[in-house]
Formats: sequence, C-alpha cells, structure tokens
Amino acid sequence: MKAKSPKERKDNPEAGAPVPSGEPGNHKTPAPEGGQPAGAGKGSSRTGIRAAIDFKARGEPFVWIMGGALALGVLMIVGFLALVLWNGIVTFYPGPVEVVTLKNGERIAGEPFRSEIFRPSEEQLKGVDAESRRAIREAEGFASRTLYRIGNFDIYNEDFKWAVEHRVARTETPPGIFFVERKEWGPFIGFIKTLIIDGRRIPGEKISMDALYAAHDGAVERRNAIRSIEVNEIGAINFYIEEERLALRRTALDYGKKSAKYRAEKEEFERRTKERRAGFAVLKKKIASINAEDKKYTVILQEIGGREKNLRLSDIVRIYPANNLSIFGKMGVYFSRWGEFLTDDPREANTEGGVLPAIFGTVMMTLLMVVFVAPFGVITALYLREYAKQGALVSIVRICVNNLAGVPSIVYGVFGLGFFAYTVGVRIDLLFYPERLPNPTFGTGGLLWASLTLALLTVPVVIVATEEALSAVPRSMREGSLACGASKWQTIRNIVMPQAMPGIMTGLILAMARGAGEVAPLMLVGVVKLAPELPFDTFFPFLHPERSFMHLGFHIYDVGFQSRNSEAGKPMVFVTTLLLIGIIAFMNAFAIMVRNRLRRKFVEGHF
Amino acid sequence: MEKRDLLPSDEKLTVFKALIGEEAIVAGGSKGSLSVFFQVRRPGAVTSDGLVMVRAHELEKHAASVSGLSASQRSRMFITMDSGGDAWLRHSTSESTLLRFRMKDMAGGSRRFVRLSPRDDAVVAADQNGVVNFWKFSAEHPETTYQTLFGKVWYEGYPNPGYTWQSSSGDDAFEEKISLIPLIFGTIKGTVYSLIFAIPIAVLGAIFTSEFIGPEVRSVVKPAMEMMASLPSVVLGFVAALILAPVVETWIAAVLLSFMLIPLLLLLSAYLWQLMPPRISLPLSGFPKVSLIFFVIILGSLLGYLIGPGFERFFFGGDFKAWANGNIGMATPMLFIIFFPVSFLLIAFGAERLFGYEWKQRLRRMPHSRGALFELLRWFGMLVAAGLLSWVTAVVLTALGLDARGGVIDTYVQRNSLVVGFAMGFAVIPLIYTIAEDALNSVPSHLRAASLACGATPWQTALWVILPTAASGIFTAVMIGMGRAVGETMIVVMAAGNTPVLDWNIFSGLRALSANIAVELPEAVKDGTLYRVLFLAALVLFAMTFIVNTVAEVVRLRFRKRAAQL
Repeated sequence: MKAKSPKERKDNPEAGAPVPSGEPGNHKTPAPEGGQPAGAGKGSSRTGIRAAIDFKARGEPFVWIMGGALALGVLMIVGFLALVLWNGIVTFYPGPVEVVTLKNGERIAGEPFRSEIFRPSEEQLKGVDAESRRAIREAEGFASRTLYRIGNFDIYNEDFKWAVEHRVARTETPPGIFFVERKEWGPFIGFIKTLIIDGRRIPGEKISMDALYAAHDGAVERRNAIRSIEVNEIGAINFYIEEERLALRRTALDYGKKSAKYRAEKEEFERRTKERRAGFAVLKKKIASINAEDKKYTVILQEIGGREKNLRLSDIVRIYPANNLSIFGKMGVYFSRWGEFLTDDPREANTEGGVLPAIFGTVMMTLLMVVFVAPFGVITALYLREYAKQGALVSIVRICVNNLAGVPSIVYGVFGLGFFAYTVGVRIDLLFYPERLPNPTFGTGGLLWASLTLALLTVPVVIVATEEALSAVPRSMREGSLACGASKWQTIRNIVMPQAMPGIMTGLILAMARGAGEVAPLMLVGVVKLAPELPFDTFFPFLHPERSFMHLGFHIYDVGFQSRNSEAGKPMVFVTTLLLIGIIAFMNAFAIMVRNRLRRKFVEGHF
Repeated sequence: MEKRDLLPSDEKLTVFKALIGEEAIVAGGSKGSLSVFFQVRRPGAVTSDGLVMVRAHELEKHAASVSGLSASQRSRMFITMDSGGDAWLRHSTSESTLLRFRMKDMAGGSRRFVRLSPRDDAVVAADQNGVVNFWKFSAEHPETTYQTLFGKVWYEGYPNPGYTWQSSSGDDAFEEKISLIPLIFGTIKGTVYSLIFAIPIAVLGAIFTSEFIGPEVRSVVKPAMEMMASLPSVVLGFVAALILAPVVETWIAAVLLSFMLIPLLLLLSAYLWQLMPPRISLPLSGFPKVSLIFFVIILGSLLGYLIGPGFERFFFGGDFKAWANGNIGMATPMLFIIFFPVSFLLIAFGAERLFGYEWKQRLRRMPHSRGALFELLRWFGMLVAAGLLSWVTAVVLTALGLDARGGVIDTYVQRNSLVVGFAMGFAVIPLIYTIAEDALNSVPSHLRAASLACGATPWQTALWVILPTAASGIFTAVMIGMGRAVGETMIVVMAAGNTPVLDWNIFSGLRALSANIAVELPEAVKDGTLYRVLFLAALVLFAMTFIVNTVAEVVRLRFRKRAAQL
C-alpha cells in the first residue's frame, strides 16, 4: 500500500475495518492496507491470516501501470542524458588506429568509430564462406560490423568504411602509425615517410617525437602569424576602405555627384585609398616572406596502401602517434581538442575545429534578448499586478499572455521575418543606410531581429514569473509600508520589488534558457551556417546588431543534417549538444538556486 | 497513337495551343467552350507509351466563339478572346478567370490577334482594322485560389486530381503545387502519434506521482521529469533522427515487442507483489517498490531485445520491414496482436459482470496469500482466454480477406512517425506531466482525507475522488501538450523525413506545417507566391494552436474557480 503521506497512512486503518463488513470474524482482521501495528497481525495469525481484502479496491495492477508510466518517463530522460553525456565526453578521446586486413587482402587503416549489429542483405552476403553464413543464420540473420574512420578523404573519396566481422582476416595496431588532423580534407591516417625541417630530410624511422612537435609548434606559430596579419591588419584596411567608400556614396546621394563637397571628398578618398593600398602591399610582402620560410617545413606522409601525400607542417592541426601514446599523451590530445573546440573557428564545413563563433552568437543573442525582454516583461507584469483594475480587460490580457506562450516558435520566426526584417528593417535601410542599398543592412535577418523575435517569444515567461513573484509578497509588508506613510510607488520600489527580485530573476533566467535552446525561429531571422564576421569586433561601433550570426542549436542542425557526411559530423554534433545542454542546464540550475534562496529569504521575511 | 475529340461534336475547333512546358494544350471552340488537356499515365491504356490524353480542366465558357489565344511564357496563364469583343485572362490549373477585358466600340468584329506581354503584365489585342488595344495589368499570384490551397487540384502529369505540395524543382516550366492539406494533415498526424505515446505516460505518471508516492521519492522524480522540458528540441531531433531512427529500424520487432512486454510484465509483477503478505509489502511500498518498477521496465526492454529476433521470425516471417511492405508473411499474427488488448478488455469486462461479485465474496473468505494467488491465476486465465479469442478473431478476419497492412501499418521508412512520436514525447510529456501533476496536487487535501477516512483505498480515492475533481485540469494539460506538439518544429524537421504524404501509416514520414515553414521560408523569394503561401501556412498553424490554447485556457480558468470553491 502506498499512501500519500504518513499522516494519511495513519488515517486509513481507523476506517479500514468496515470495508468487508458482514463477514464473521473480520472485526479481528486488520485491513491489510492499514498497516496495523505488528501486534494485531500476530493476534490474527493464530486463526490464519484472513485476507478480508478487496483486491479490486486496491487496484494494484493499475497502480503498477501508472508507476510504469512514470518510470518510463524518467528512464527516457535519464537514458537520453546518459547518451548525450557519454558520446559528448568520449568523442575527443583519441582511439587507437587499427589496421584491418580483410579476407580478400584489402587493408583498412582507421580509428574504430562504432560497432553495431545489422542484418546483411543477400547482396551483402555474396562471396561469404559457408561457415560465416551459418553463424549469421544462427544469429537470426544478424551480423556485426565496425565502422572505421579511415580519413584520407583526398585519396579515398570517403571518410568511413565498414568492416564486416565475417570478412575480417585479422586486426592489428601497428606502432608508428600517425593520426594527422589537417586544416583541409579531414584527418590523414598513415605513416610518416620523411620529415623535412628547414630543407633537411629526416627519414621516418629516425624522427624523434620531440623534434616533430618542436617543428610543428614553429609551423603553427607561422600559421598564426599569417592569420593574424590577414584578419587584423588586412581586415582593418578593408574595413576602412569600405567605410570610406560608403561615406563617399552617401555624400553623392545627399549632395549629388556634381557638388563641390563630393568632389573634394572623392579626391580625399582616392588619396587615402592609395595610402591604404600601399600598406596592403607591405603586408602582402610580409605574408609572402613567412610563407617562403614555411615552405621549408613539410612532411611526406604515406597511407596504408603506399600512396604518398606531401603536406606542409603548418597545414597540420595536430599530429600524434595513435598507437604509442601514453595515457598522459592521450589526455593531452583530449584536452587540446576540447581547447580547440571551445576557442577556435570551425573548419571543414563546420564538421571540425571549434565553435567559438557559435558560442559567441548564442551568448550575444541571449543577452541582447534579455536586454529587451526584462524591462518589457517586468513593467507589464508590474502594471498588471499592482496598478491595473482587476477586471474583464485584465483577465483578457492574461489569457492572451498565456496564449502567447503557447504560440509555436516558428510562427514567431515568421512574424520576425515579415515584420522586423522585411518591414521595419527595410524602412531603416531606406532612411539611414541608403548608400548600402541594394545590399540590405537591417532589411534582412540579423542579431537584432533574432533577439527581438526571441524576446517576444519569451516575454510571457517573464510576465507570468514576475506576476507570481509579486503576488507572493505578503500583504502585511505592503500594508506596513503604506501605514508608515510611503506612497504606492515607494512601497513598490522599496518593499515589493526587492522581495520579488529573486522570483523575477528566476523568470528571466528561465526565459534565457528557453531562448538559448530555440532554433526554429532563428532559422528565419538571421542565423547562418558560417558567419563571415562576428557581431562584435574591434571596429566602431563594436557591436554590430545587423550582422547575421552563428548559433549552437543551428550548428547542431546544420552539421547533423546539411553536411556532406552526417557520419563525420556526428561526433561534433554530440559535443555541441553537450555544450548546449550544459549551458541550458547551468542556467536552469542557477534559476532553481535563486528560487530556493527566494524561499529561504521569504521565510525570514515573515515576522 | 491516340485519337480524341477535344470538343463536343457540334462545335468547331477555333484555337489550339500548348502551354508552357509543352505538356498541356488548350483548345477552344466555336461555341465558346475552353478546355485544358494533358497526358497522364493510366493502367490499361491502349497507346504505345501508356499515356492517355485527358480533359483535365474545363474553364468558364465564352459567350461567343473563341477567336484568339495567347499563352504566357512564364506561367500557366493565358488569355483568350471571343468574337464578341471579350478578352479573358485565365489560369489553367486553378481554372479561374483572373481578369476580364472588354473592347469598347469594337464589338462584333473578329480580332486578328491577342498577345500577352513576355512579362505577364500587359495585353495587346488588334482587330482587322488594325486598331490596337493595350492594357496593363497586374496578376501576381494567379495560381492561388482557395481551391488550389485547400482543394483537390489536377496538376499536369498527375493521374488524378489530388492534394499536392511540391514547391520547388530545377525545371523552369515547373509549376508550384501548393495545397496546404498534406501539411495540415502532417501536423495532425504527428500530433496524434506523439499524443498517443505521451498522454498515457504523462497523465498516468502524474497520477502516480501525486497520489501514490511519498514526498521523498517525488522530490527526485518530479525535477527529473521537469528537466526533460528544458531540453532544446533541436537536440531531441538530432538524437531521434541520427541515433534513434537507425536503431529502431534495425530493432523494430524488438521495439514493438517491448511495447507489449512492458505492460504485461508490470501487470505480472503487480500480481506477484500482491502475493506478499501486507506485513512485508507495506514497509516496502515506498522507494523499493518504485525501484522495482524501474527494474521491471528495464527488464521488459531487455527481454524485448533478447527475444525480438525470435518474435520477428515467428510473427513476421523473419523480417518486419519486408512484412510491412507486404512482401512476405501473412496478416494473422499482426491482427492477433492488435486484437489482443481488445479481447483482454472484453473478457475482463465480461468476467467482471458475470462473476465479479461472486469472485469477490469467495476471495474474502480466503487468507490473503491464497486470495492473491487466485487473483494471479485469474489473470493468467484471462490472458489465455484473450489470446485464444484474439487468435480466432485474427484467423477469421484473415480468412475474410482483411489485412493489417495498408492503413496504419504499411511500408517502412527509416524516418517515420513512430520515431517522431517518440521524440516528440520528450517535448510533450514533461509539459503535460507538470500541469497535470499541479492540477492533481491542487485538489484540496480535505477531499483526499475524507475519502480515505471513509475507508476508500488510495486507488479508489484517486479514481473516484481526485480524478473527477482534477479532470478539467488534466484536460488543460493535454490541450497545452497538444498545442506544443502542433507547433513543434525542429524535431519534425529532422526526424520526420519531410515527405508530404496523406496516409496514416505509422511507419511512414510526414511533413508538418511548422517544418515546412522552417525549411522553405529561408529560401523563398520575398513577396513571391511561395513566400505568401508560407505566411498563410503560419497563419493556419497559429489558428490551430490558438484554438487549442484558448480552449485550454478557458477550461483552466473554470477549473481554478471550481477548485477555489472546494
């Protein structure tokens, strides 16, 4: 028997006996669901325990079905989280590289990616020896296979290969095989034939790992130097040239091309552009000199089939001997991959590299959203709860707010696109940015519109939470304040708001968590696969709300479903998923913490 | 070779022209009739290519003989004019007459020609005397009518009129097919399947949480369920589509088996639990019992996995997918499975009516353990009887030619409604669960206490006191869950396959309004037909959720008022 609370459990036996009334002797028998003290049970055991129980009334089977429903729900969430957690955590751990020799002599070198049981079709069973066939038949037609990440996409034209168990002759893990992560074409798996350092050739078997890593570090430094010049200095030149061109165009639009002002500005513009171009040439030369130096550091790789590949060291992101790594070496690779993931730009159509721009976009958008939603939601709730006359109109408004919470997010996205971007944005462009037309500035999706759309989406959450927080402030405190002569506004500002603040904060954080996880509306109002520029940079006005941005949620969708090979993107998606869930769980946990603090404070607040 | 009369026998053909794409032809006659013909594939066609020319559209008749015709070079618009001086701009697919031009003071003369401008924005018409009329017009979305959006439309190349959504193709002569019906249907299908899965779990789980477990277990379970609500749907969609769908595809028989095994095992363990004397079972009814329920669920799934292949061989000829496609096996086993719960309920109900009272009286005279044993045996007996009954029904129905396949069970595709329903469960269950649990909790505890004090068991209290009081609250919860399911986007985009089909097959995909908007609106040309139709789709979606939410809200307010009175 399961009762709601100990108190009710006690209530029951007092009335339990009458149920099977009319039965001789049952006044002795405790109603078993009553949990009678042990003494009574002992007393009746002499005459044999009488059931005196209506099994139908107990409804045990139904209770178990209900319990099963709950357990299934909990198991679903636990299983889901475990799946994401496990896959997300192990993804970056470097596995061994296995060399599989098939029975037909073919050799595959790769990192085992996953194994599964599958059902081979007749087609797939062609040429399989009788013994394996029998084994498969005995296993109800199931066979197992392992997916190997074979890399070398530029040579093989595929990233992955299945090795079906019954076709495998033997599997080895040869030492000296390297896992090379490249800037382009994904990983390379194979041996180092020759390392060329500063023009000096070192044959593969004589390479010391230290020398290799030192050379690689130098190459990475050069790569970063080039990148820094390209992004910062050349980027700045391009940015200012473009700004000045636009300013000139603006003058042309305002004063006409024949005006003296325009002519003067044009001259100035041409002079400055010439200067900047000169600076550009200097930078170009600098890059070329680094490049020339970089060319002397290369490595000749050889894949398992013997084909060779010449690669510059600076094109290598990470290189490690997969099969002779110590546990520390593996942890080093693991954490360096996490570091790259969190702080780098994506590579290879987002399936490798980092997600920094996406983290950045998600955080920026969420923060901007809060900036819009907080005043709007809180002031609305304040008015509804404290000032408005509680009548039909207010209850209609409440119904609408609740209804707004149930509107599908994609509908908000459609609204955001149609209203913000294509109506408001286009007007803004016509008024303030005519020089940039026909390229839209605000007239298309962007950070600002995305956060406004999400603000609309989350405003009901904030309103409801704030209203609840306000109504939870005890009446006695308001009356006390009013009795002391404070005005209504003073009471609200100094007594009600501080009390309600944690509740409001909870609502805001929950809104943030909801906003951060929402993807569908963003697809319409400004999220892109790969944003060329961050919405925040070192150029005035630093924050560029009109720019499109990347988002973790969209990153998951994009890599999982739009990329060349969804299998290759899967690990990346899992890690991104883990990160997104982590961010959202953190926000939720924070909200719960704040709520608990509110409760404690509340208890203290009682006189 | 095919011969066909384009017009009634008493009418003379006056105009004849192919529309863009050269698939369809327009023919007009001397009495003003105008029809569009194209070829469709029909079984039993006598022509060598298997195509038959059909009169697909019959357009509004001119008052006089059709004398001129000019087809647009960019759409299925064309203009016709008659000898009476009327020129009508028409659209073939929507069968609508878009604009009517009247040539003033020239009636009677037969015109020499009429032409649409290449950009579809002007008409030139000239008569024999060389007088030229020129009209500018704007007909921006000629293909959209209520008929094309919500009705059956006969598109070129399709064998029959139907509801079709197909909005893009590489071909210039392509016509956008914009019926919203498949999308609305997809939304409803996804909602129904996800609710079939979610409602029992959420509502039953909520009742269990609120009525049958103590606060210490609840404080663990409830936050766990609520945590599910904060999972972003894009994550659910990704896992459903890339992880779950392939697994379900391989283990479909085991999944189906688990759906049956888990309830059966739960019932079995309930009857076994009853065998324990209350002295022992009562102290265990808190945390140990809940853990046992968890264990039974896991055991059920494990058993499903282990005996799934055997089940598949025995019931579905060894390959469920081939069976569902109709290639192998017969219908009896599936009919048996479908009828099993029905016959069990029938038998349970019948037995209760016939022997229920007597049985109760008899059990009362027995010691507890023997009574419980008899209960277990009764359950077994009913299972066997239900099995026999459903087997006989299945055999008879098979003999009558009924097949379980076609309809709800049909061809299997990897991204299907089953997976969508399951994934959407993650989004909908916590919502329904939380609201329903709150509603159950807000039933005043004095009602509960009064019922228990009168000697009712917790089960009786829950069934006859708590549930009726909280029913409207639970209804609200279900409605809000439904609203969420209707509007859910990312899960459907990723896991549903996005095929605009019009069948209830649980093993086929669907294309929902929300997913369609998310996929197509970013690519749609601003202010184009598709763009506007997608806005209409959003409006339809909004209207659907608005109705559902308003009903939920109104019921909720009434519930709150009534709960306050109690």
